[in-house]
Amino acid sequence: MSRLKDHAPSVLVAGISAAFGVALLRVTAVIGTAAAADSATSGETAGLVLGVVAAVFIVIAMYVAAIVTANTFSTILAGRTRTIALRRLLGSTASAERRAVAGEGLVVGVVGSLLGLAVGTAVAAGLTALAVALGHLPDLDYGVVDGSAALPVIAVALTTWLASWVGSRRVLDVTPMQALGGAQERTGAEAAGRGRRATALVLVLVGLGLVGLGVVLGLISPLGVLVGLIGGILSFTGLVTGSAWVMPPALRLVGRLFGGSAAARLAAENALRYPERSSRTTIGLVIGVTLITMFAVGTESLAQIIRAIDGGSGDLDAMLTTTVTVLSVLLGFSALIAAIGMVNNLFLSVLQRTRELGLLRALGFTAAQIRRMILAESAQLTLAALLVGVALGTFYGWAGAQALLGSVNGAPGLVLPGMPWPVLTALAAGSALLTWVASLAPSRRATRVSPIAALAVS
Amino acid sequence: MPAIPSVEAMHSTPSGASSAGSPVVARVEALAKAYGSGTGRVTALADVSIGIRRGQFTAIMGPSGSGKSTLMHIMAGLDSPTSGRAWLGDTEISALGDTELTVLRRRRVGFVFQAFNLVPTLDVSGNILLPFELDGRRPSSEEQAWIDRLVDSLGLRDRLRHRPHQLSGGQQQRVAIARALATRPDLVFADEPTGNLDSRTGREVLALLSAASQDYGQSIAMVTHDPVAASYADRILFLADGRLVEDRGRASAEQISAFMLAMERAA
Ligand SMILES: Nc1ncnc2c1ncn2[C@@H]1O[C@H](COP(=O)(O)OP(=O)(O)OP(=O)(O)O)[C@@H](O)[C@H]1O
Ligand SMILES: [Mg+2]
Repeated sequence: MSRLKDHAPSVLVAGISAAFGVALLRVTAVIGTAAAADSATSGETAGLVLGVVAAVFIVIAMYVAAIVTANTFSTILAGRTRTIALRRLLGSTASAERRAVAGEGLVVGVVGSLLGLAVGTAVAAGLTALAVALGHLPDLDYGVVDGSAALPVIAVALTTWLASWVGSRRVLDVTPMQALGGAQERTGAEAAGRGRRATALVLVLVGLGLVGLGVVLGLISPLGVLVGLIGGILSFTGLVTGSAWVMPPALRLVGRLFGGSAAARLAAENALRYPERSSRTTIGLVIGVTLITMFAVGTESLAQIIRAIDGGSGDLDAMLTTTVTVLSVLLGFSALIAAIGMVNNLFLSVLQRTRELGLLRALGFTAAQIRRMILAESAQLTLAALLVGVALGTFYGWAGAQALLGSVNGAPGLVLPGMPWPVLTALAAGSALLTWVASLAPSRRATRVSPIAALAVS
Repeated sequence: MPAIPSVEAMHSTPSGASSAGSPVVARVEALAKAYGSGTGRVTALADVSIGIRRGQFTAIMGPSGSGKSTLMHIMAGLDSPTSGRAWLGDTEISALGDTELTVLRRRRVGFVFQAFNLVPTLDVSGNILLPFELDGRRPSSEEQAWIDRLVDSLGLRDRLRHRPHQLSGGQQQRVAIARALATRPDLVFADEPTGNLDSRTGREVLALLSAASQDYGQSIAMVTHDPVAASYADRILFLADGRLVEDRGRASAEQISAFMLAMERAA
């Protein structure tokens, strides 16, 4: 029963990414059908292009969902260490324990993706009916489902399973010894291998080199953007792979911003207690923020260059605004999934610290100080993700626009990145909201901890 | 840090200027505590009246379930009584709200628990200074000199940058003792402080507590099962079934064992 509750957030994450995939594919199919009816020749190509674009966004959402799920599993297992250690003590093998966890992951994936199928299909049908009623789409027979829905459903089930397998790696580190005695919690002991660090570093360096090359080439030919694109994908993959080394310094830096009060200092330590966990919690948000910022800065910079070339037009601005809005909404789903992961992780980590919170209460931490501490912890995670994401997104967006249009006749050579203030404001507001929402449940839980119950030797 | 005025005023007598001459640092009167209701009602304490003397090392003994921890929790402001009253110095703590009690614990009470005494993310130095940090201040130079002395006499000098998981159980208890003594609280509460230690390390910890009371006049109340531990105390209070059954002065471990056996036979 408690296992079911453990996995509710992972089911939600799998459900949202499957629903997003099913609905998006369905909507592109409907638009493709409408376009084909409109002009028999170009319909097929339009449908194909839309399908490819949709696939890209679905893959991004699934990737973020996989990171979130792997992290959630690893956090849940941290809380089960003693139970697993006891089973190991009684003779269960490490690999059997890990297989059992991955089995839970498969169930989560299948249940989540089937729920997602139902919700996604319903939402797509609703949107289609609405568009027909408003006259945006011709009144054709679009059907309700098509075979394409199977793709995201199967993919989500499998990636969730895979993510649970990755997240269950820590089961292998549990020793039967941990079932004995009140072993003190170790902190900062998780560190990924050296090979991974080297891979990440190479990817980042080569990628950034290519982005730079793309910008320079872009001054000669628009094909520079292709070189830049490859460089962008490589370097960003490197950053995500190496997040365990990128995020902790960012978190530490942001932690300093909150001052030196006991609540702030403990919060700063807590956010770095499990560097790998915090890195994975924040990297999902970083991906979302980076991509949203990248498209917004990219279009804004493009608009700047185009205005410099031909003085610009209202038509262009309206089109760019629409594009940025649609892309932001599509990427917003990835950000939402990452946000769910963060809320859940903060809650679990507070749950696993019950005893420590009881100690702090006994020693004189007021309920208000506990609330401030958790709010600061939450703010540290979102703010670090926001800053890193906006910085990266601004760079990539600017580099893309520069590489694409830098060589066009009349272009001003190198331009400064265009800053899309409405989008950035929305991101900041979203982060503030997330900070607050994520701290609610943990704060309530933490201030209810009675020092006596928490310190009773069980 | 926004201080709570009433507590601020209360704290203006740190060791209790008016109560400094009083021989009693904490007391409870007609204290009762019951858990649950109806048929599931458990009486943990029934009509207990006790005074803890200033500067003394007091042991609270009794069989399992006799109410020792409950008494300590109420006296330390961690729990509230069902009826009766409790004072720390001149402050009636049974009348205080949660925030006032929290500030009182921070400033006027020290704790040493059986286990899980230390915050795992803080190093030894951070753990010792935690009560000051919670109060939003740094130790004064006088307090710092006192802390330095504690750190040296507890043998923690070259451990200050270590995290709790890098220390043995005995070292962790020594850090907890340093933290409990650092603020020079009115009263230090210790609940089975040697419960998780081997007998040699346990004796070291007990010797440190008794030295703190003898050398610095620190008032200490220690809950224990162990006659050897209680033999370090100046005074021993025995509880049974939530009542005070015996109050005696310093005694040897053998005498204490004999008394406990007699008490169990009588029960
Ligand atoms: N939260 C609670 N709910 C219900 N009953 C409780 C609770 N806490 C304590 N009790 C009961 O109150 C009585 C006194 O408990 P207390 O913990 O004070 O005993 P103790 O003397 O410290 O025992 P031990 O030596 O085993 O630690 C016991 O009967 C216990 O079962
Ligand atoms: Mg007890």
